Amino acid sequence: MSTVESRPTAPARPAAEPARAPGRPPKEFDRPRFLKLFMGVFFLFLFAPIVLVVLFSFNSSRSLQDFQGFSTRWYETFFESESLRESLVASLEIALVTMVIGTILGTMLAYGLVRARTRVSSSLNVLMLVPLVTPEIVAGASALLLFTQVKLELSLTTIILAHITFSISYVTVVVRARLVSLSHEVEEASMDLGATRWQTFRLVTLPALWPAVVAAGLLVFALSFDDFVLSFFTTGESPQPLPVRIWTQIRFGVRPTINAIGTFMLVISVVSIGLALLLPRLFGRRESGLKVLLGREAA
Amino acid sequence: MNGNPNRRELLQGGAGLALGLGLAGCGVGNIDRGSLAETEKPIRKRVDGDLVYFNYSEYIDPDLVKKFEKRYGVRVRESYFDSMSAMMAKLRAGIAYDVIFPSAEYVQRLRSGFLLRRIDRDKIRNIDTVYSYFDDPWYDPGAEHGTPYGLYATGLGYRADKVTGMTGSWRDLGEADSGDRSFLLDDHQEAIGMANLVNGYPLNETDRDKLEESKDYLVDLKPKLRGVSADTITNMASGNAWIQHLWNGDIVNIRYQVDNPEDYRFQKCREGLPVGNDNFCIPVNAKHPGTALLFIEFMLEPEHAAQNVEWIGYPMPYEGAATEAFQGLVKDDPEINVTIEDLENGQQFENLKGDGRLAWDEVWTEFRVA
Amino acid sequence: MNENRFASGFLVPPGVWLLLLFVVPLVLVLALSFGYTDDLGEAIYSTRLDNYERLVDPDYLPVLFRSVGFALAAVVLCLLIGYPVAYYIAIFGGRWKNVLIALVVLPFFVNYLIRTYAWIAMLGDDGLVNGLFDSSIRFLNTPYAVIGGLVYGFMAFMILPIYASLDRMDPALIEAGKDLYGGPWQTFLHVTLPHTMQGVLAGSLLVFLPAVGDFVSASLLGGPEEVMVGNLIQQQFQASDNWPFGAALTVAMMAFLMIFMLFYLRAAARETREATA
Repeated sequence: MSTVESRPTAPARPAAEPARAPGRPPKEFDRPRFLKLFMGVFFLFLFAPIVLVVLFSFNSSRSLQDFQGFSTRWYETFFESESLRESLVASLEIALVTMVIGTILGTMLAYGLVRARTRVSSSLNVLMLVPLVTPEIVAGASALLLFTQVKLELSLTTIILAHITFSISYVTVVVRARLVSLSHEVEEASMDLGATRWQTFRLVTLPALWPAVVAAGLLVFALSFDDFVLSFFTTGESPQPLPVRIWTQIRFGVRPTINAIGTFMLVISVVSIGLALLLPRLFGRRESGLKVLLGREAA
Repeated sequence: MNGNPNRRELLQGGAGLALGLGLAGCGVGNIDRGSLAETEKPIRKRVDGDLVYFNYSEYIDPDLVKKFEKRYGVRVRESYFDSMSAMMAKLRAGIAYDVIFPSAEYVQRLRSGFLLRRIDRDKIRNIDTVYSYFDDPWYDPGAEHGTPYGLYATGLGYRADKVTGMTGSWRDLGEADSGDRSFLLDDHQEAIGMANLVNGYPLNETDRDKLEESKDYLVDLKPKLRGVSADTITNMASGNAWIQHLWNGDIVNIRYQVDNPEDYRFQKCREGLPVGNDNFCIPVNAKHPGTALLFIEFMLEPEHAAQNVEWIGYPMPYEGAATEAFQGLVKDDPEINVTIEDLENGQQFENLKGDGRLAWDEVWTEFRVA
Repeated sequence: MNENRFASGFLVPPGVWLLLLFVVPLVLVLALSFGYTDDLGEAIYSTRLDNYERLVDPDYLPVLFRSVGFALAAVVLCLLIGYPVAYYIAIFGGRWKNVLIALVVLPFFVNYLIRTYAWIAMLGDDGLVNGLFDSSIRFLNTPYAVIGGLVYGFMAFMILPIYASLDRMDPALIEAGKDLYGGPWQTFLHVTLPHTMQGVLAGSLLVFLPAVGDFVSASLLGGPEEVMVGNLIQQQFQASDNWPFGAALTVAMMAFLMIFMLFYLRAAARETREATA
C-alpha cells in the first residue's frame, strides 16, 4: 500500500488485535497525559463561574466581592416567593415538553432528510437551517406577530410552541450528523431478516441513533430552560418563565436571590441529567438483543 | 442597488407581499383602539379579582405586595418588562393587565389611542398628598388617567474617591479624569437628549441639522468611553465604571451594594436636567380595574410610600412621609433627589412626531455603527 | 413500501410544523419590513421601501464584518477547545463517559445570564481575579471579552455533535489507522477527523449561526465599538420601537447568512457521499 510510512515510528504490534470493548483506552497513546491536563483546565474554566454562583448564593451579605458568612436567607426569599416558584415550575414544564416534542420532530426530520431523496426533502433541508439563522429577537417578534394575527392568546402554550419550533433544527443537525455515518447495510440486513421498515427503524436505527438523540434532547432542554428572548415575546401575563424574570431583574444589580435561583437550577439539572442517564439503561436489553442479532456493536 | 432594475422590481414584488396578504394598512397589534366611552366608564373601587401587575422588575417593595395581598385577600400576578417598548409590545398583543406603569410621554400616547381607563381621583384616599404639579400635567390634562409613581432624573454618577475634574457639566463624561472608565447610557432617548443639551438645544430637538451636531458630539465622545451600557448598577458597583451616565435611583441602588456608599455621588448637569416620572395606569381592557384602584390607593398611603421609596431607591412625588423618607435616604448627597424645582426647571421627554422620531432613530443607529 | 416513501412520511409532521409556526411568521416579518411605524409607535404593514433604502449604506458593513468575524473566532476557539474535550471523553472516558459528558453540559443549565454576570464579577477591575493577583488588567469591555463570552456560551453546541459522532466510531479504526499511519497525529488527521467531519460541521454551524445574531455578549461584555448585527436588531425591536426597520435588518442579515448555510449544505452533502461510499 502506497500510504504505509517508511519510517518506523511505532513499535511492531501483534497483527490481529481483537476489537476492544468501546472506550477502553489503548495503552500506547501518550496523548492522555496532555489531554488530561487540558481537560482539567477546561473544567476549571467551565465551572469557575458556577462555583462563584453557588458560593455567593450562601453569602450572608449582598456583596459579590466578599464572602461574609454563611446564610440561607436568599433561598428563603426565593422559596417564599410564590411568583418565583411559579416561574420555576413554568420553566420546567416548558423545557420538558419542548424537549420531548422537539426531539421527536427533529429526529423524524433528520431521518427523513437523510433517507428520502425527493425534491421536498432537499428544500426541507434548506428550510430546516433557517431557524438557526434567525436571530432570537426576530424569532420572538415573528412568533408574536403570528399569534397576534391569528388571535391566539399568549400563555404557556404559546411559549412551548415557539420553543419547539426553534429547537427542531438543533436536534436535526445533531442527529443527522450521526445518522449519516450509520451504515445502511445494517438496516438492509434487518429487512432481509424479515423486519418491516417500521420495525427496522424502531429496533435498529433508533437505538443506533440514541446517543445523538439524547445529546440533542439535553441540548434542547438547556436551550429552552435558558431562553429569555423568545419567551419574553410569547409569554402571557403570568407566570413569566424564570429566565425572563432574571433578564428583567439582572439589570438592577445581581441580587443574591439570583444566585440562589441559579444554584437551584443547577440542582434540578443534576437531577434531570441523572434521570436522562438512567433512561438508556431501559434500552439496554434491546441493545444486547441487537448484539446477538448482528454479531457486533451496533451502538 | 440604486438604479438596478431587477432588484428594485424584486423589492417591489416583495412589497406587494404585504398587499397580497391583505395586511397593508393593518397594525401588528390585537388591541383595538378603544373608544372614548369605554375609557370613561367609572371604576368601582372594590375587589373584583386578582391584580394583574405589569412593571419594571425590582420596582416595588415585595413586602408591600404581600401586605396588599393579605389585606384584600387577592393574589398579585406579576410580570415584568425591561423597556417601554417591551411594555407596548405586550399591550398591543392584547394581554389584559390591570395596572401598568408607563412613563409620562407613554401615558400621552396611550391616551390618544383611548387605551387607558379614566381614574376618578376623588375616590382615592391620600390623593391630596400628590404634588400639586401633577394636578394637571402636560401629558394627561386633568390627571384623569394616571397617578404618578416614581420620579427620576438623569445625570452623571461618579466615584468621588477616584475621579477628579467634575465641573458640573455633561461634558465631564468625556473630559473629567475618570481613568478611562466612562460609560454612556445605552438608551437612545437619554443619549441623544443629553447631546442636544450639551449643544445648547432643547432636550427634544428634532431639527435634522441640529441632530447632526448632536450625533457628531456623541461620535467624538466614543473614543473616550469604555462602554455604552444600560447595566449601570453592575458597572459602577463592580468598579468598572467611575463615571456612568445614569438615573438618580441607580446611585441609590449602587450604594446599597457597595462597602463605601458615600463615595458614589450623583451630578445634575447645568446644561439641562432630564426629569420624568412613571405613572400608575389602568388599561382599557383590564379585567379587574377595581382591585387596581385599591392598589393605587394602597400605595399612596404615607407609610407604604415611604417604605417603597427606600426599597426602590427612587423618590415618589407625595408630600409627607414619602418625601421625608427619600430626603433622609440621600441626605449626604441631596443632588440625588428630585424636587419640585427640578420638575419645573428640568426638561421632560416628549412624544416626537413621525419624522422627528425617525430622525432620532437614525442618529442613534448611525452613532452606534460609527 | 420503498424507502423514499417511508422516509418521506417522517418528513410530514416536522414539515407541517415548521411551515405553520416558522415559515408563516417569517413571511409576516418579511411583509413587515416594508412597513412603517405610526405616531403611537405601532408597526403598520405597508408597501414602502424606505427601510431597505436606509440599509443601503456602507456604514453598516463594518458591523456585519465584525459580527461574522467574532462568530468565526468563536467557532475556531470552540473547535480547538471542544474537539479535544469530546475526544477525551469519547475515547478515554470509559465507564465515566456519560458522567463526563453530563459534567460538560451541566454548567449550561445554569442560566446564561447568571453565568455571564458571574464572569463579570470575576473579571471586573475590582473583581476576584484582579484581587487575587493584585493586578488591574482590563478584561471587560473589550472585543476579547465578547468572543470569550460567545465561546463560553456556545461551547456545548460544539462539543455535543462532535462527541456524538466520535462516540460511534469504532476504536478499532483508530488502531488500524495507527498501524497504517504510524503516529497519533497522522492517525487523527487521516482517520479520526474525516470520520467526525459531520460532527465538526454540525458543531460549527450550531455555533456560528446563532453567534452572528447574538446581542447579549456584546452588550454586557463589549466596549462602544463592539456592536454586532444582533445589537442593532435588538435595538429596533426592544428600544426604538421600529419593528419594520428591524425586520428589514433581519431579512438582510439572513439573506447574507444563507451563503454560509449553503456552504454547510454542500459540505455536508459531500461528506455524506464520501462517508457512504
